[in-house]
Amino acid sequence: MREAQPRHTSMRGARGQRPRKGSQLRAWARHHRAMCRDSATRLIRHPLASLLTMLAIAIALILPAGLWLTLDSARLLDAELDESATLTAYLEQAVGDAEAGRVTEALRAHEGVAEARLITAEAGMREFQESLGLEDALARLENNPLPASVVISPRDTAPEEVEQLAGALEEVSGVDEVRLDLAWLERLRRLAELGQRLVLALGGLFGLGVLLIVGNTIRLSVESRRQEIEVVTLIGATHAFVRRPFLYSGAWYGLGGGLLAWMLLSLGGHWLASPVTALAESYGADYRMPSLDWLGSAVLLFSSTLLGWSGAWVAVNRHLADIRPR
Amino acid sequence: MIEFEHVGKRYGGRFEALSNIDFRVRRGEMVFLTGHSGAGKSSLLRLLMRLERPSRGRVLVAGHDIDRLHVSQVPYYRRQIGVVFQDHQLLFDRSVFDNVALPLTIQGMEPHEAARRVRAALDKVGLLYREKALPIELSTGEQQRVGIARAVVNKPALLLADEPTGNLDPQLSTDIMTLFEDFNRIGTTVMVASHDLALITRLRHRILRLREGRLVADEEAA
Ligand SMILES: Nc1ncnc2c1ncn2[C@@H]1O[C@H](COP(=O)(O)OP(=O)(O)OP(=O)(O)O)[C@@H](O)[C@H]1O
Ligand SMILES: [Mg+2]
Repeated sequence: MREAQPRHTSMRGARGQRPRKGSQLRAWARHHRAMCRDSATRLIRHPLASLLTMLAIAIALILPAGLWLTLDSARLLDAELDESATLTAYLEQAVGDAEAGRVTEALRAHEGVAEARLITAEAGMREFQESLGLEDALARLENNPLPASVVISPRDTAPEEVEQLAGALEEVSGVDEVRLDLAWLERLRRLAELGQRLVLALGGLFGLGVLLIVGNTIRLSVESRRQEIEVVTLIGATHAFVRRPFLYSGAWYGLGGGLLAWMLLSLGGHWLASPVTALAESYGADYRMPSLDWLGSAVLLFSSTLLGWSGAWVAVNRHLADIRPR
Repeated sequence: MIEFEHVGKRYGGRFEALSNIDFRVRRGEMVFLTGHSGAGKSSLLRLLMRLERPSRGRVLVAGHDIDRLHVSQVPYYRRQIGVVFQDHQLLFDRSVFDNVALPLTIQGMEPHEAARRVRAALDKVGLLYREKALPIELSTGEQQRVGIARAVVNKPALLLADEPTGNLDPQLSTDIMTLFEDFNRIGTTVMVASHDLALITRLRHRILRLREGRLVADEEAA
């Protein structure tokens, strides 16, 4: 070496001195940038292999993501249903029209009631006839068998609250029975809960799948770069240094897989949109095909990148332990 | 600089690759390590690089027991010793320049400064004009010199070499040994394992002889 080395070079302490903080940080950032770029170029150099890995990741992501989307739109549906959760208070047969008005007032005055609408016995009969098309059969009845009723919208639509309110309203004089049509609402809620758990379970399972896919790919690339790892370890590379390029590869795989999943989801959404809308229309429902919004897309990409990174982390740590320089 | 205190090294079972090795090397000294094949030369150097740990005794470098270094400190320790490997351990997918720069890259040295040092090291081994070549395009002797440039690029205080002249012709072997003497002259402590007795006796430095894992002779420079 041309530049003279000081004659009495001291071993700078066998413990090893690390460079100063500032320059260390710059060096660290520099290496991150370099490895981020380097790992990307490595993936691009084998486009088909990289694409296949990403596709496998995408497929693993699509099922939970798709289910989540469906569930998300179902949740919207059940929010609408909440508003229509009503109680029906049937008044005693003996209550006349004038008294019915007073009972309605009393019900409306209750603190848990948002709105109360009286349906007189005749009005109820008419509605019944119309809806069933049984005019003739019912017209033959001499007495109207239906009681007057009051349709009540509760302030709080939580099931327990509504149930309690129903009990309280039954105490009001003139009220015979309060019915709540909650059973089917409850069923729907259970279904939504089941859906949520399914998404969680599938998400966990397929997330694990992504970890395995990335882990296996990274294991192979660790194996193929074994000699390089041995050499840099011999000349003083830290674990973090050795790990870094692989973590970036994992993150790239994850991000690529996430992007592919996003594209496939959007394509699939478009493809299914018109038949689904048509089907919903035939049932008289206004249902739009769910699609990923900004936040959903960000969550998808972020979690897939994180999964890729974690898979790489696990794989590298598992296999670096096996690699001991000879 | 180096102290071996009754060091023994066992691999696996009862077989002792090194037993009761006890010697010191002063700062700035140049030492040859010799012995038949399987005598334990590489094992001794691997202990110094902390690739192996002694089964018995202590190895001290610059006064520190290197067996007591925490795993996280080992990389920083290795950065302070330059090592020339028998099979030179170059990366064949990178240029000569990048190979020599590797220790500096690992340390995170600023690229300008690193480039300057890499060129200085390559110049010293006479390969500056081949900096862009791939190692595969070089002759064995040239590859060995790239390995030497990489070992000294970080200006280590301690330089270890395992059979650096393994299968080189006598002229090249002499050149390479002369290179080590140059580094020694500017203060570097040098330890070279070699079984080329004819060559090392001619060079007049201290010689440590191993036989079946024992230190059988310690001949001071004539
Ligand atoms: N990792 C290992 N596991 C088991 N035995 C080993 C290991 N490394 C070395 N040995 C044994 O230790 C003894 C000394 O080996 P070493 O490599 O130190 O010899 P050497 O003097 O360098 O020989 P050569 O001149 O052939 O390189 C040999 O008998 C070898 O078989
Ligand atoms: Mg050997």
